[in-house]
Amino acid sequence: MTNSMNDIRNSKCVMVIGENVCTSHPIAMQHILTAKEHKAPFIVVDPRFTQTAALADHHVRLRSGTDIALIYGMIHVILKNGWEDKKMLADRTYGWKDLMAEMAKYDLPDAKSSKSDLKADLKTISDITGTSPEEIIKLATLMAKNRPSTVIWAMGGTQHNHGTAVVRSYCILQLVLGNMGKSGGGTNVFRGHDNVQGATDLGVTSDSLPGYYGVAESAFKHWAGVWDVNLDWIKSRFTTVKKMQKVKKTVDGKEVEVEEQVSIPLMEKPGLTVARWYEAVGMDVKDLGQPTNVRAAIYWGHSSNSESQMDRVKGALEKVELLVDIDPFITTTTILPDRKDGVYMLPAVSAYEQSGSVTNSNRGIQWRTRVVKPVFEGRADIEILIDLANKLGFGKDFAKNKNGPWKQIPEDITREWNMGMLSVGMRGQTPERMKRQHEWAHVFEVHNTKAASGPLKGEQWGLPWPCWNTKHPGTAILYRIDVPAMQGGGGFRARWGDKAPDGETLLTPKGSAPAGGSIKEGYTAYKDYATDVTGKAIDEALSKGLNPYGNGRARLSAFGIPDPVPTHREPIHSPRPDLIAKWPTYDDVKDHWRVPTLFKSLQKPDWVKKYPIILSTGRQVEFEGGGASERNSWWLVELQPEMYVEMHPKLAADVGVKHGEWVYVLSPEDLDDKPSRIKVKAKVTRRVSPDMVYLPFHWAGVWDGKSLGEKFPDGMVPYGLGESANVVTNYGYDRVTQMQETKTGLCRIEKA
Amino acid sequence: MAQNVTGPAAPGPAMRMKFYVDTKRCIECGGCEVACKNINEVPRGISRIRVLTVNEGEPGETNVPVPCMHCSNAPCVAVCPVDALFTRADGIVHVNKETCIGCGYCLYACPFGAPQFPTANVFGSRGVMDKCTYCAGGPVEAFSSKEHALYGSNRVAVGKLPACASFCATKALVAGDSAFVDEVARERDAVRGPSVKWGWEQAYKQA
Repeated sequence: MTNSMNDIRNSKCVMVIGENVCTSHPIAMQHILTAKEHKAPFIVVDPRFTQTAALADHHVRLRSGTDIALIYGMIHVILKNGWEDKKMLADRTYGWKDLMAEMAKYDLPDAKSSKSDLKADLKTISDITGTSPEEIIKLATLMAKNRPSTVIWAMGGTQHNHGTAVVRSYCILQLVLGNMGKSGGGTNVFRGHDNVQGATDLGVTSDSLPGYYGVAESAFKHWAGVWDVNLDWIKSRFTTVKKMQKVKKTVDGKEVEVEEQVSIPLMEKPGLTVARWYEAVGMDVKDLGQPTNVRAAIYWGHSSNSESQMDRVKGALEKVELLVDIDPFITTTTILPDRKDGVYMLPAVSAYEQSGSVTNSNRGIQWRTRVVKPVFEGRADIEILIDLANKLGFGKDFAKNKNGPWKQIPEDITREWNMGMLSVGMRGQTPERMKRQHEWAHVFEVHNTKAASGPLKGEQWGLPWPCWNTKHPGTAILYRIDVPAMQGGGGFRARWGDKAPDGETLLTPKGSAPAGGSIKEGYTAYKDYATDVTGKAIDEALSKGLNPYGNGRARLSAFGIPDPVPTHREPIHSPRPDLIAKWPTYDDVKDHWRVPTLFKSLQKPDWVKKYPIILSTGRQVEFEGGGASERNSWWLVELQPEMYVEMHPKLAADVGVKHGEWVYVLSPEDLDDKPSRIKVKAKVTRRVSPDMVYLPFHWAGVWDGKSLGEKFPDGMVPYGLGESANVVTNYGYDRVTQMQETKTGLCRIEKA
Repeated sequence: MAQNVTGPAAPGPAMRMKFYVDTKRCIECGGCEVACKNINEVPRGISRIRVLTVNEGEPGETNVPVPCMHCSNAPCVAVCPVDALFTRADGIVHVNKETCIGCGYCLYACPFGAPQFPTANVFGSRGVMDKCTYCAGGPVEAFSSKEHALYGSNRVAVGKLPACASFCATKALVAGDSAFVDEVARERDAVRGPSVKWGWEQAYKQA
């Protein structure tokens, strides 16, 4: 989130797209409802009439996965009416021409010169999205006429083969409207679980060390310094792999770029992702982006039933030599595989039995205090981790840093990342400051999350990053240039140098810099700010009123990634085969996070003939993630006792089932030779349109119609068992992040 | 005998304890239901509060959390043949489970479906009535194990509001004395424009 949860109250118009706040983030609804009560139009854009849509002033249906086209339609309406923020676009963005060239592909005439009818302009967009031109005009008008307006999204935007591009399109809309760096505006993504933001910040992804430093040697060098370990020793733990790389060479006196095979340490290669790790278990090593197959799997607070292609996940869980599940509850990970040995369950403890910092969606960090001592044999996660490091033989090097061995746990670990995570500004959130905020929680104001009085006066609740040092209040709203850097001001990150590959400047012109700085225009990142662990570089920049990460332009066109400007791409399993030719998905990728990923070769126009219904998945308010803990709560299961498929009365009538009767959901063959299927009850409702069905993804414990209850240890069978939605979610992954495409697949419904 | 049979003395009508159900804010999360069951250890199958959704999946979909509304002139109290139901001085309507004969008259009298009846034996006869206590225990000694077993928690006696309203994510369900609840409703009205009607005029169409 660029802004804070509470700041949504200050919005003049709230647009939620691809997120059912009522079921996924119920506590956040209070802010949206407060904005709505203060007359901010509340818009929900979703293929489903969600619980959130029911509370909205306007619900607009779009076909799942067509967000980019819809956003471009809105931008066209905005441009045609001259509602765009011309100053923000001219001074603080890069790549306008590329965006205009992309938008022309959607048969949108030039907004400034053409005199054509707006509704006629939107014909192609309307055809892609299934949203009427009138609705698109209404959306754009509401967002433009009621500024600052905010855009809120979640997995509905990201779980597509072009999910990264979808998210970028939302950000582009906010730049065009000039809603960035303003209270009440911003791009506000709601993260999926408690501390997902914190886990990402601390490097849970396989392509980065903590603090988004990446995995290049320079990143390891920085962290080896923080950890006080020898870089060569780290290097020695990795093998090398061969990779095709573009190399500059001098041939006949001329410098040319040639592609040749180079040897790189595996250390510097992004690893496997949670979405596809299982492929690396059984796949021929020839096709794998690493020298050996995966032989052991440790699940740590993660549910395997939230991974798509679950039948193939099951195969991998059976094949690995060692399978460990670390969790307070028995998850489906150890229950699902048909195997009798090599499976270990380690009881971890809940959040209430351990302390430490947690980061929420709006980058705010709080100290969580232990409430009770661990019950039964449960142990804190960090204890298990230290034991594992000891057993692997490097415990001493693990539990220490530049300041010496860890003495106070977890506080010393927090201090360790305070020292190292300088890139995003996680230096100022010391354990002492977090605990002090806890004591003074009552002085923070609701509407701006700022301490109004007392010793913390001016501090932002949770010290959201960047929080550059222990005097810095934290940054509740990113990219504000109306306040000094020391009060949370900052331009867009100057992350890509001062010039784009096309020669255009990436720095802002005069008059567009955080208030009170010694430089009044754009500037690159302050020298060594991210690697100087003494923090001197950061403090020096701040003393000059400069934001250490620089002051650059937001990139409408992000060179260096597939689709620099977001492009609509049909889902891999598209319900509109006629659109595949013009809006195809990407080419297959041979080494995509170390495994081959299929795109075009699976995008078959024929799928829809056998599987005519759109399949989408999502949440129920009672459960979270794989539901291992919640399905063990009688009270929650009493409210939501069974797995179901939501289907429209028309579809139910076509299939010949009534509410509460059993149906099969069958999904395309993808990589297997037969369709996957689950047997669930029909929930007949008009929440979904007749052309789609919806499955909640929290269920597990029933496989191919048979209960796995007897596989649980005695007395540990969850109250709620059901077939898993991810057995039938289709193959498909985001081109950039490899996030699974579970929001748009295809299926067929049959009476069971 | 019980310390809080009649509850704290009420100096005037402003001190009556009330629920305010704001249907414009309820998001159907069910937090109130789970909080109630957790804190009062309500038996399975009994719902002291329930979120009802009308027109689910269609425009106009509305969610209504329905606890016992602790009515002024409560009809359940009026029809109870054994005077097991009574209104405390602070307006909370309680049932004395040791007096209740499980006849079910109150169920027919109640406009909200608040009285709950567990099945008592295999032939389906009703047990004694169970209902929302406003988290104020029951007519036995406060904080005794007997009180907990029969009625659940007693939060009011320690100065806490009912669990359901305390846990409500959007403050769709507001609890407090009538002066406080009135103030909350008035504030919301001032922002939204008048929409909230009170009492029987809201519940029933006048002829």
